[in-house]
Amino acid sequence: MTPLLEATALDLAYGPVAVCRDLSFQVMAGEAVALIGANGAGKTTTLRAVAGLLAPRAGTLRFAGQTIDRLPSHARLGLGIALVPEGRRVFPFLTVRENLEMGGFRHRHQRRHVARLIERGFAWFPRLRERAGQRAGTLSGGEQQMLALARAMMSEPRLLCLDEPSLGLAPIVVQDIFRTIAAINRDGTSILLVEQNAHYAFATAVRGYVLRGGSIVAAGPTAALRSDERVRAAYLGGSVGASGGI
Amino acid sequence: MFVLAVQQGLNGLVLGSLYVLVALGLTLVYGVLVQINFAHADFVMIGAFSAYFVTHALHGDYLLSLAAAGAVGALLGYLVNAAIFAPLLGKGSELRPLIATIGVSVMLENGALALLGPVPYAFATRYSAEVIRFGPLYLTAQSVIILAVAATAIVLLHGFLRFTFLGKALRAVAQDRETAGLMGIAPDRLIMLTFIIGSALAGLGGALLAPVLVLTPFAGTSVIVKAFAIVIIGGFGNIEGTILAGLLVGLIEAMTTQVLDPGLIDIVVFGLLLAMLVIRPTGLIAERREENV
Ligand SMILES: Nc1ncnc2c1ncn2[C@@H]1O[C@H](COP(=O)(O)OP(=O)(O)OP(=O)(O)O)[C@@H](O)[C@H]1O
Ligand SMILES: [Mg+2]
Repeated sequence: MTPLLEATALDLAYGPVAVCRDLSFQVMAGEAVALIGANGAGKTTTLRAVAGLLAPRAGTLRFAGQTIDRLPSHARLGLGIALVPEGRRVFPFLTVRENLEMGGFRHRHQRRHVARLIERGFAWFPRLRERAGQRAGTLSGGEQQMLALARAMMSEPRLLCLDEPSLGLAPIVVQDIFRTIAAINRDGTSILLVEQNAHYAFATAVRGYVLRGGSIVAAGPTAALRSDERVRAAYLGGSVGASGGI
Repeated sequence: MFVLAVQQGLNGLVLGSLYVLVALGLTLVYGVLVQINFAHADFVMIGAFSAYFVTHALHGDYLLSLAAAGAVGALLGYLVNAAIFAPLLGKGSELRPLIATIGVSVMLENGALALLGPVPYAFATRYSAEVIRFGPLYLTAQSVIILAVAATAIVLLHGFLRFTFLGKALRAVAQDRETAGLMGIAPDRLIMLTFIIGSALAGLGGALLAPVLVLTPFAGTSVIVKAFAIVIIGGFGNIEGTILAGLLVGLIEAMTTQVLDPGLIDIVVFGLLLAMLVIRPTGLIAERREENV
């Protein structure tokens, strides 16, 4: 079986600043995969490369059997790759409903379908329904994260990439969001998850990759990674006592 | 006295509508691209000449010439974006396209000068002579056309941005281009659309201005200077603010014409601009400042 997403020997850099070297990883159809590592390890950079916001300096990305390295982000969305970006990035001056509509831009000619997908998002997060006509910039952090997730799902992606959806949120909201992510995965959407919260990362994903200093230092089933000393070290950035709690 | 004030108010609205049409293009492009197209002034001038030639050389109706001027403006906007802004998009160079448009402006003006000469063209339409009376007030048919066309354009633009998928996508691109790309929106296409709409409005504005303008290859300059002031007073990139500021400047200009020497009007407008920059540097509608488009 060929992987849905296959990265081979990716080198990633911002201009002269090299960030990731020789990254190879896969996500199979229907699988949930975690990408973990300390601050600055290159997790966001990797997701940006997958979503088409950063062109790799070397290496290849294949999605559903097609080479996608040179495709811009909007074309990758059309193939089925959606990203919930770091920091949520809702459109602050569009309403909640308009933000969702933008997520469903590729369905813009099927109004009824867009309306159905918006309803699905509201069912996941009833708070969004209450706030439908409100500008997204005025939402709380948790509500914005719900919106960013619901918005990404409007395109009905085959692969949903998430960049730290728990960042800065209260535990109860995090629980809510991860329950939805798990449900989305159960319904068949593949997940590539970057997450600092190890508990949720390992609970959601079946497999994981550990990034350290821009390279993959460990990979395997999350059950095995959980007890791996290298993972602990990479996760905590070498310092003992930081947050995360495996 | 009262009647006179109302009459001047009407004249001010007509003038203001023209300024709004020209300024909206600048504001749209700034809102979406955070760039300024200095050739916008020349789109106004070329729009005016397009209307002139459609009516005088081709003997077309003035209303038809308005459509032609809008189309010519749209084409120019398309070309300037395709040649200058699109290739540099996302390359982190902000000054180069700006300077390139100054170059385009110089080329267009001097090209027009070589072709058309420096002598002002007299552009009279059958609508400029026709006077419509409302009791003690009067407007030329030309002014009524200006008001109607400008109001229609503004309402259509507003409806487009608020209620259509494409218009909302355009606002999304203005707010966060990268994230818009993640939604499957092709930002370059919407930027192109913005240029086409904004430049069509400039061409249309030129055609509406033509009969009241001193029509020379440099005709755009006098208008654009005020349009820039209006864009700044309205809060760069803010559509509602630009409309309000445009009408305000038109009204002030009409009112001061009564009491001041016409040559002093620019001093009043730019005095207002300076005062705005000091008092409310974020523009008329301050709390909405960050909404570009
Ligand atoms: N635009 C940029 N230009 C230059 N360097 C960058 C840029 N963005 C990130 N970097 C660098 O790349 C490295 C990896 O950054 P990245 O954002 O991918 O880390 P991360 O693993 O997502 O960290 P965090 O957990 O803090 O979000 C960092 O050293 C960072 O300084
Ligand atoms: Mg990150």
